[in-house]
Amino acid sequence: MATPDQTRVPLTSEEEGLKDLNADYTERYGFHDAENYLFKAPKGLTRELVEKISEFKNEPQWMREFRLKSLDHFLAREMPTWGSPMLAEVDFDNIHYFVRASEKPERSWDDVPDDVKKTFDRLGIPEAERSFLAGVGAQYESEVVYHQVNKDLEDQGVIFLDMDSALRDHEDLVREYFATIIPANDNKLASLNSAVWSGGSFVYVPPGVQVEMPLQAYFRINTENMGQFERTIIIADEGSYVHYVEGCTAPTYSSDSLHSAVVELIAKPGARIRYTTVQNWSQNVFNLVTKRAVAEKDATVEWVDCNLGSKLTMKYPSVYLMGERAHGEILSIAFAGKGQHQDAGGKIVHVAPNTTSNIFAKSISKDGGRSSYRGLLEVAKGAGGSKSKVVCDALLLDEESRSDTYPTIRIGEDDVDVGHEATVSKVGDEQLFYLMSHGISEEEAGKLIVNGFIEPIVKELPMEYAVEMNRLIELQMEGSIG
Amino acid sequence: MTSLLEVCAVDELQPGSCRIVEWDGDQIGVFNCDGEILAMEDRCSHDGAPLAEGVLDPDSCTIECPRHGAIFDLRTGIPTTLPAYIPVDTFPVVVEDGLIKIEVD
Repeated sequence: MATPDQTRVPLTSEEEGLKDLNADYTERYGFHDAENYLFKAPKGLTRELVEKISEFKNEPQWMREFRLKSLDHFLAREMPTWGSPMLAEVDFDNIHYFVRASEKPERSWDDVPDDVKKTFDRLGIPEAERSFLAGVGAQYESEVVYHQVNKDLEDQGVIFLDMDSALRDHEDLVREYFATIIPANDNKLASLNSAVWSGGSFVYVPPGVQVEMPLQAYFRINTENMGQFERTIIIADEGSYVHYVEGCTAPTYSSDSLHSAVVELIAKPGARIRYTTVQNWSQNVFNLVTKRAVAEKDATVEWVDCNLGSKLTMKYPSVYLMGERAHGEILSIAFAGKGQHQDAGGKIVHVAPNTTSNIFAKSISKDGGRSSYRGLLEVAKGAGGSKSKVVCDALLLDEESRSDTYPTIRIGEDDVDVGHEATVSKVGDEQLFYLMSHGISEEEAGKLIVNGFIEPIVKELPMEYAVEMNRLIELQMEGSIG
Repeated sequence: MTSLLEVCAVDELQPGSCRIVEWDGDQIGVFNCDGEILAMEDRCSHDGAPLAEGVLDPDSCTIECPRHGAIFDLRTGIPTTLPAYIPVDTFPVVVEDGLIKIEVD
């Protein structure tokens, strides 16, 4: 009788290669700079600190009151008991909630403090800005240190600022939308963000303006036990278009950091917003985020959400289709390696009739990593004529890894067309054999299978990000034959 | 066919306060919003929380749900913020002979 070891299917070379995805994280992103800060709050969250943050930023009274009310909500609410058992490890007392590295956002990289500039050089941000971006915001710890937008966009009335500056320079506009999509009491982590938010982006695109090249924000954590809480609002006025891309990395430490963002998007009638995230936090970061969009009549919102890093991510970008013929799209890709849990997915709520949506979620789990798809598709009463399709696929690279699916579907109308598909697969010998029998090498066959698996989503990334994502995968798969 | 449900004497419902009445297995909140008497279903359409336990804003005549922060317009029952998106019922208010009454089906 065969022993369990003898019957175990050996890993293919490409599976072995993919198991090392992000193995070079420490050299590429996991460094940290010396701390020459203007202010670093001691660990812990207090009412005095919340007041101090508001004072530092010279905020209007209503924002200060909003923060303090949010703090009360945060303290009153328990942590969620669903999602991941890792949530119990979050230690809110062991976090620095506010760290200021520089005086203000600069418009020239030459004016950014040297150490900080060198870090962003190393991350390739100024180069990306020169090559293919219409505007860039770079956040280091709690605040934006660099911000620039193309002059011709500014001349057309496009506003792209860090949130702190937007509150100061466009207070009425910010106040009109702030916390209208994600109220302060929406959930515990949104309450925390609402109390201590700092940095993030404010984007307003006037009617009819098409912002052809992406606006980008890059978020970098540097110190240990850091809490980063950016707040972003994007308003695309009637018939306009904008693509916003964000990336993030952090140093590798042995103790934990916390990232909890709140993002609110409004696509007015006929407008389109695409929001792309390439999340690559180090594996000591808890990444607990609330992202929600409203699409009005004939408008479109697309979330392209790539989760590569972090210790635990819980993030479910959502679209509320509030106007007739609105469209929502969520493309989600998650890699979960050793010690990681990617609890990702999305929510679409059809409120108005004749609305449409798609959710495509792909996950790859390796080395005992765990990925989950958690989603909601809801068609409310009155949303007749709506159509939706949800596809969630999981690829497991070994027997130690895990994938779960928690889909919820709630339909309140008879006249709808809703589909849901889910698959779980392994890069199998049969697939490899099939491709190899057509003259393709084993290594190429493996790449084709994995790339084919994630292609629907990677092809939606801006070119340089797609190249980077593919590079990360291919790097690990090359040279691992024999 | 509608009927009138008695709530309380006008003097007993001071500005900023609320009274709950039961009708047909549901609860209805009757609010004094800076002198204006308004009646609305006391159940948030998002997650069923009791709206009357939330924060009343007399300037905007709205109530904020205590559970997740959705804001409802007391005059129309329409939510002005997510996560609620389905309106709740409102009920016409009649004040006669010093008594607050609401019209119910």
